[in-house]
Amino acid sequence: MKKKDFLIAGAVLLLAGVLTLVLRLSGGDPGGAVQVKIDGKVVGTYALVEEQAVPFDTDYGHNLLVIRDGKAHMEEADCPDHYCMEQGEIEKTGETLVCLPHKLVVEVVSGESSDVDVVAK
Amino acid sequence: MNHLNKTIALLLALVFAMSFLLCSCAEKEEEPVSRDLFAMDTYMTVTAYGKHAEKAVDEAVRELNRLDALLSTGKEASEVAALNKNGGGDLSKDTNTLLKAALELYKSTGHVFDITIYPVMKLWGFTDQNYKVPAKEDLAEALQLVDAGALDYDADAKTVAFEKEGVAVDFGGIAKGYASSRVIEIFREQGVTSGIVNLGGNVQTLGQKPDGTDWRIGIQDPEDEDKMLGVVTNHDKAIITSGGYERNFEEDGVVYHHIIDPETGYPADSGLTSVTIVSEDGTLADGLSTSLFIMGKAKAVNYWQKHFKEFDMVLCCDDGTLVVTEGIREAFSPADEDATVEYIE
Repeated sequence: MKKKDFLIAGAVLLLAGVLTLVLRLSGGDPGGAVQVKIDGKVVGTYALVEEQAVPFDTDYGHNLLVIRDGKAHMEEADCPDHYCMEQGEIEKTGETLVCLPHKLVVEVVSGESSDVDVVAK
Repeated sequence: MNHLNKTIALLLALVFAMSFLLCSCAEKEEEPVSRDLFAMDTYMTVTAYGKHAEKAVDEAVRELNRLDALLSTGKEASEVAALNKNGGGDLSKDTNTLLKAALELYKSTGHVFDITIYPVMKLWGFTDQNYKVPAKEDLAEALQLVDAGALDYDADAKTVAFEKEGVAVDFGGIAKGYASSRVIEIFREQGVTSGIVNLGGNVQTLGQKPDGTDWRIGIQDPEDEDKMLGVVTNHDKAIITSGGYERNFEEDGVVYHHIIDPETGYPADSGLTSVTIVSEDGTLADGLSTSLFIMGKAKAVNYWQKHFKEFDMVLCCDDGTLVVTEGIREAFSPADEDATVEYIE
C-alpha cells in the first residue's frame, strides 16, 4: 500500500511538471504575429504563419503588407521615399517596418525572440 | 492509517505542484511600459520598467513633443525657424545648450560638424524630400553661407546673431541625441532605474535590464537591411549609428546620401559605410556619428585617440573591415565570425 502512495505522489508531481512546462512553452510563444498601427492606433494583427497580402488605404496613402514564409515586408507604398519598402523582412519580436509619411508601423509582437533588445541604425 | 498516509502524500504532492506553478509565474520578467510616437521626422519608442514607469514614459513623450515643436526647422512656429527667419535672436534654455554643444563640436572636429550647413541641405532637397543634385553655381553660393564660426553667439546674454543674409541653422545633427539624453534624465528624476529609448535607431539605455544583465544593442549592417554588423552589450550609454544607407536618392545611376561634407558641399566619400558611437553623452554621440563618417577612418581614429575618455566607436569600412576601439573591445561581438576586426588602442 505504501508503495502505491508513493506512486500516486510521483504521478501527481510528474503531472505538475508537465503542466508547468506546457504552460511555459505555450505562454512564451503562441506563434509570431505582426501588429499594424496607423497614427498610434492598432488597426490589425496578422499571424506570420498565414501567407497573406494586406492592403492599408488611409488619408495618408496606400501600403501593401505581405506575409510570406513567416516573415513580413512592405511590398507596395505610394509614399514619396519608399523607405518602408527598403527595410527588408521582419520576423523577430520587436522588429519593425516604419512608413513615416503614412504614420504606419508594423511590429512583430509575439514571434521568435530576438538576440538583441534594439538595433541602432 | 493507510488512508491518512495516502491523503498526506497527495496533499504534499499538490503543494509541490502549486509551488511549481507559482514559481513559473513569478519568474516572468517585469513587464515594460512603452509609448511610441512620431516626432523629429522619425518613429520613437520609449520604454521604462518598475513602479514609476507609467509616469516616466508619459513625461518622456511630453518632452519629446515639446522638443520637436521647439527645434523643427520645418515648423514655422518653432524657435529654430524663428531664428532662421530673423537672422538670430534670444535663445531658450534648450537651444542655448544645443548651440553651445554644436560650437564645441565645430571646434573639436576641425569644422566638420557645422550647424550652418542647412542652406546646402536644402539645395539637395534633404530637408523636404525634393531630392535633386544642385547646380555647381548654386552649391558654391550656398557654401559661402556655411560657417558656424561666424555665428555671433553671446553665452551670457543667451543670444545669437547671424552676420550674413541667408545663413540658417539646423540642430538636426544633435537634436535626437539631446532628446534621448533628456528622456534618460526624466527617467532618473522619476525614479526609474531601467529603461531604453529608441529615437528612429538612435538608442540610449538607462541602467541594466530588469534581470540584471546588460542591454544588447545590435548595429545595422549598412549593406543589408536584414543583417547586423554585431552587438554591443552596455548600460547607461547612447549608441548612435550614421551611414549613407539611412537617407539617399539616385540620379542618373549615382546614389547621393544625406551626410554632406561642409568642405565640398557633396555627400561625404571617405571610405566608411557607417559609424557607430557609444558614449554616456547622447548629444556628443549623435554629433560625432556624422562628423567621423565625414572624416574617414584615419582622422576618426586620430580624433578618438585624443578624446578616448568621452566615447568609443565601431567604424565599418567599405571593404567590410570593422574598426573597434579599446573601450568596447570586450562589449562588442561581430555578427560574422570571419569579419576582419581591427582594434584601436
